[in-house]
Amino acid sequence: MIFAEWKPLTELVEKLSGYDRVLLVGCATCVAECAAGGEKEVETLAPLLRLALKEQGHDIEIQTATLEKQCEWEFVEELAEAVAQVDAVLSLACGIGVQAVAERFEETPVYPGVNTSALTIREELGVWEARCAACGDCVLGETFGLCPVARCAKSLMNGPCGGTRQDGKCEIDENLDCVWNLIVERATKRGELDALSQVRKTKNWSNGRHGGPKRVIREDLQQ
Amino acid sequence: MSNDPSFEPEIVLLYCQRCIQTGTGETSADIEVEADHTVGFSVQPVMMPCSSKIEVPYILRIIERGADAVEVVACSADGCRFLVGSLRAEKRIDYVRRLLDEIRVGADRVGISRGPGLSPKDLIDRAAKRAEKVKALGPNPMNKGDVQ
Repeated sequence: MIFAEWKPLTELVEKLSGYDRVLLVGCATCVAECAAGGEKEVETLAPLLRLALKEQGHDIEIQTATLEKQCEWEFVEELAEAVAQVDAVLSLACGIGVQAVAERFEETPVYPGVNTSALTIREELGVWEARCAACGDCVLGETFGLCPVARCAKSLMNGPCGGTRQDGKCEIDENLDCVWNLIVERATKRGELDALSQVRKTKNWSNGRHGGPKRVIREDLQQ
Repeated sequence: MSNDPSFEPEIVLLYCQRCIQTGTGETSADIEVEADHTVGFSVQPVMMPCSSKIEVPYILRIIERGADAVEVVACSADGCRFLVGSLRAEKRIDYVRRLLDEIRVGADRVGISRGPGLSPKDLIDRAAKRAEKVKALGPNPMNKGDVQ
């Protein structure tokens, strides 16, 4: 899922301090999964912001809404009536959702309420770990299903660096597994350790962020 | 520190039904009666089936609607009928306290204490302790009529 975290409350309060009516919009998909922008977080943040602004002597009216998805135009359209009644929008969606709302309602200021930071899996309740970096040239087939781009601190493509600890953890964090250690362990378990010595083609970084903003056209799907 | 000696905090007391005395015949009505005789603060007792019924938005909504503080009374850590209910409540309270602190409204507006075997007077005493702490913070900002 796309992972996001609340921005510091002081930053949000400062952004909203000039408005009288604000719409706080959540998204019931990824950001709900990571407990940053679902309905529950919207209903938590709304009273907090009212309290914080009232403490500063500012009465604010905060309406709330949570869309099924803020990254689909059909769902964003559902906000039209509510946006017309407010001075600004605070979105708890990922950066995609924020931009969708801002594009659809160009005349209304739209602020992000979260920092979108990673593509993660929920390891356990309250613990998320990065699993994908959307690099554009997936190597999971060669690294035994473990991503060195997202999970290695240096995004190394050629095995562990010298910083792996004795217990297989990364030098930057004693709780973080060295992914190359995991790759070697899994390869060994499968009896395919030799596969890691094979020379691979140079990774094509240009299909990800390094190639500039992504735009994909699939004519077979176009109308 | 509040400068207003006339400030009488309004406390919402959320208590687990299992943390009160059993076998004495005392009911929530007895707690209501005890709550009517407080001095220097007021209490609104609310009985819950388990302290884990509280959710973060509920607590914040109570504060937003004007209560000066919320005191949650849960069972002992190893005495929860649902095993982990009171532990969940404690974590949520800790989270709310951090949020209130971050917006500078005061972490002490919310707190949790534990039973078991509490009498109506014991429960109201918990509210009294919360009232003492919140007096230092002053009235809930939502109740301030004068815009600075």
